[in-house]
Amino acid sequence: MEWSIILFVFTLLIGIISPVSGVGGGVLFVPLSTIIFPFHVDFIRGAGLVMAVTSALSSVPYLTRIGLANIRIFALLAPVMVITSVVGGIIGLKVTSAFPGGKYYIEIMLGAIILLVFAVMMLSKRLEFPQVRDEEVDGWSRALGLRGEWFEPSLGRIVRFQVKNTPLALVVFALIGFVAGMFGLGAGWANVPVLNMLMGAPIKVATATSMLIITANAPAIGIYLTKGAILPSVVIPAVLGITIGARIGAKVAEIIKPVFVRWLVLAILFLAGFMNVLKGLQGLGIIPHIIPGA
Amino acid sequence: MAEERKIQVDEMGLIFGKTMIIFTVIGVVMMVIPAIFYFLGVRPYIPLAEVSKYWTGSAAEFWQQVKGFQVHGYGWIFHNLGYMDTLSMLGVLLLMITPLISMVAAIFRAPSLIYRILLFLGAAEFLLSVFLKTK
Repeated sequence: MEWSIILFVFTLLIGIISPVSGVGGGVLFVPLSTIIFPFHVDFIRGAGLVMAVTSALSSVPYLTRIGLANIRIFALLAPVMVITSVVGGIIGLKVTSAFPGGKYYIEIMLGAIILLVFAVMMLSKRLEFPQVRDEEVDGWSRALGLRGEWFEPSLGRIVRFQVKNTPLALVVFALIGFVAGMFGLGAGWANVPVLNMLMGAPIKVATATSMLIITANAPAIGIYLTKGAILPSVVIPAVLGITIGARIGAKVAEIIKPVFVRWLVLAILFLAGFMNVLKGLQGLGIIPHIIPGA
Repeated sequence: MAEERKIQVDEMGLIFGKTMIIFTVIGVVMMVIPAIFYFLGVRPYIPLAEVSKYWTGSAAEFWQQVKGFQVHGYGWIFHNLGYMDTLSMLGVLLLMITPLISMVAAIFRAPSLIYRILLFLGAAEFLLSVFLKTK
């Protein structure tokens, strides 16, 4: 019971940090929980996925109504991401159960992915209103009418957008779905740069559509459910904590300096990635035992 | 504000969103209410003390140690709905299929045949992946 309370407080804090930093809760929850909590990584990934999907389900209806979450882009990506996220979930659980030391391989891969997230966040530049010229729009995008509009209060007018590089983006999203399913991470950290920088969607549209895309990872929850890797004592405090925390975080975001929080999150991500790799290598006996309690 | 009302949003997006919010609220309630009873010690399938004793092992090891078998499929939920912890998993199940229900609802408001096909394809894959996992 006390672990459930600690978990609730922990996810509450993550929920507060998330909206301020722009980092999804799942990407902080999974790597940090593998270090802090005694639960096996199977249960952490299961909870991480339920958290990510529940958060997305809660925000998507509003974002769709105001035109920021683009259902046309989602309709194209869903058939690809549903499959790859399920395959990722199956392989993730197979690795931990089929191989001796499978847990450690997962920890090493998770650490590597988190360090990749860190690098993406460090290097990526957010394009607020990228201009996609008509001649840049690819055939798929043109045929499907992948465009939209929303009212931008900071400009006081309606902003219209269209997207490019659709076939390449489909391939990248297939990989993202796989990683999301395998590690229970959610995938906002990867969706947003691809939508924004590769496809040319404005940053607000990219962020909102990313939430919509995360709902396509929902079938991977079934992988964890059918293996009994979702436990109420882990999932419920985590979902409640992140939900309440996110509401507080949205208020905090109005008063705190985002730059400070961004650097704090980057430092946490780096540490979490590094620690996961160390724990995995330590578990496999490749390096000496240096992390106490792991 | 007047201009805000002029934006054009796809009908399929609106119906998708409306369906999603309804089922998300029901799913969260179905997940949380039984879980509260579970935390209070009412009718647990796996008592909390047992859970924290074995949750350091993988999911397969956990079930082997707690119940003497491994879990394959959704049967452990549907066969034990009289227990609060398994009952709360029904809410998780509903949350899992909420995007599927929303996609199906959106098919009827899709702007063209290609979107009807894409949404149908996504929904069919979704359903298939849920079905395949029960094997």
